[in-house]
Amino acid sequence: MAVTIFSIMIVLLLLGFPMMIPLIVGAFVGFFMLFDGMAQMETMIQQMMAGIRPASLIAVPMFIFAADIMTRGQSAGRLIDMVMAFVGHLKGGLAVSTAAACTMFGAVSGSTQATVVAIGSPLRPRMLKAGYKDSFILALIVNSSDIAFLIPPSIGMIIYGVVSNTSIAELFIAGIGPGLLILVLFSIYSVIYAIRNNVPTEEKTTWPERLRAVRQALWPMGFPAIIIGGIYGGIFSPTEAAAACVLYALLLETVVFRSLDFTGVYETAKSTGLITAVVFILVGAGAAFSWVISFAQIPQAILGSIGIDEMGAIGVLFVISIAFFIGCMFVDPIVVILVLVPIFAPVVKSVGLDPVLVGTVITLQVAIGSATPPFGCDIFTAIAVFKRPYIDVVRGTPPFILMLLSVSVALIFFPQIALFLRDLAFAK
Amino acid sequence: MRRATQVTEANHSSQEQSNSDTTSVDDAPLEAYQSSLPGFLGTIDTGISRVESLMLAAGVLLMAANTMSNVVGRFVFQSSIFFSEELNRILIILITFAGISYAARHGRHIRMSAIFDALPPKLRKPLMILISLVTAVFMFGLAWYATQYILTQAGRGRVLPALQIPVWMPLVWVPIGFFMTGLQYLLTAIKNLIEKDIYLSTNVLEGYEDNEQEI
Repeated sequence: MAVTIFSIMIVLLLLGFPMMIPLIVGAFVGFFMLFDGMAQMETMIQQMMAGIRPASLIAVPMFIFAADIMTRGQSAGRLIDMVMAFVGHLKGGLAVSTAAACTMFGAVSGSTQATVVAIGSPLRPRMLKAGYKDSFILALIVNSSDIAFLIPPSIGMIIYGVVSNTSIAELFIAGIGPGLLILVLFSIYSVIYAIRNNVPTEEKTTWPERLRAVRQALWPMGFPAIIIGGIYGGIFSPTEAAAACVLYALLLETVVFRSLDFTGVYETAKSTGLITAVVFILVGAGAAFSWVISFAQIPQAILGSIGIDEMGAIGVLFVISIAFFIGCMFVDPIVVILVLVPIFAPVVKSVGLDPVLVGTVITLQVAIGSATPPFGCDIFTAIAVFKRPYIDVVRGTPPFILMLLSVSVALIFFPQIALFLRDLAFAK
Repeated sequence: MRRATQVTEANHSSQEQSNSDTTSVDDAPLEAYQSSLPGFLGTIDTGISRVESLMLAAGVLLMAANTMSNVVGRFVFQSSIFFSEELNRILIILITFAGISYAARHGRHIRMSAIFDALPPKLRKPLMILISLVTAVFMFGLAWYATQYILTQAGRGRVLPALQIPVWMPLVWVPIGFFMTGLQYLLTAIKNLIEKDIYLSTNVLEGYEDNEQEI
């Protein structure tokens, strides 16, 4: 039964069906085989509805809405100016600024694709002018944007938290450590790159200019304050933090910066609604699918056959990492999380792994996979945004993938990279 | 790379889009939809699209207002809105099922199109027809079973604890959404059968820019 279901799903996926169809058909075939025909199809609908029911999922459209408002406004530009004012004059400063601006925008938005657009679009021409090679720039933008997936808010972490019944607040805090570690590695590589290729440095900014840049960026800096501060301090639940972000973003862009009018807000709401629907139908179909495979005990059968019970905690983390890394090379991260998390859930429980650590490892893999050839979805965003051929976008990727993979190995052996802040915040 | 062109009678502008985006914000604004169906049917189709887009935007704005007032209420007045969670649950169903049809209309459902795009047009066209037809069949099937599910719920006569409205009522969008989505995919299949070009949805043409290297 498992073989039938998964082969049908993979074929439908590769043929280019809308991604909800492999999930729906997978669930349908499961219900059909398990209950001898159409008898339990109402249960399938019921499970789909149960999938989109959790109140914490409301954080997803709210964060998308806030990010959508910010991307149309001035926040991204102000963040870039602030980072540039401080590190722009160093060797490789422009590249370091790009990585840092991606990280900061990740703390505002939570979507890697939004980050590619908001940070990559204005910075790429400046880097080209400064003498960086385009292959390096594109790889830097695509991979740095993945830091946004780890820095709260993170759509992927919300979905993981809901599917695996893990505290989203703890996941958010745990993502900060690995995210910053990646930023440090990328910055070091950028400096080495700039020295080896002798990229000229930018002019140094004066302190009054820096102060002005900071003042300009103070407003957008309110987002990390609301999200991280609010959750860290135990004031907000993630959903409430998301709502507070929407309120803040609306005030900022309509009242303070005046870059959006009512029509703009209405259009933004419509586009947020569309993205939400596309994600939520996947969440619903994924829930029905995971219900049926769990009911049929398929996860135990698959993982038992590779002998996962004898692998121990570290072995399990490696298997999970590899599975998610490969999955995200081909499929959208959300679909991978929806399909694979329920499969690994029983074994994560039986070897006693911390679900927050597993969630961080998974989010990291998902981020890496989305930037990895052949089909990582961020590569295609970059192709669409920068209008460069596929090969140019992926040419500079290998060093970045190596750095990211070394972070994931480090995370498996030193879970404190992720859990230190979590333990500090939640007094474990 | 993929370029999808909005071909409507009112405008001939083009929009860039990547099919593997979930949360992209780089797409051109969703322009006013003009149905490509002939005559009276076209008027109905355009009307439905307007209703769907209104439901999407209003749903998101209401959800934001509801969630924000709940936060404000808790901090300022020390009391939450008692029906807040139920209202959000109703709105998310509304948004999801108005949205899947709207997304189908604009060819915006995410798909892994890398292999599809690499195929020659001769193969892409029949494959697109197959994809649209199979998707339509499953959407109609889900619409049918969703209707059965609602009838079962209605038969039980339960009400939502806070709002005191019948449980089945907010669910009516589920079969309607599935049915409208199925209809969009069916129309896409028909459009591909009668027209020369390959269509991603009834009015989104799938095509490539010549000056760029294909992937």
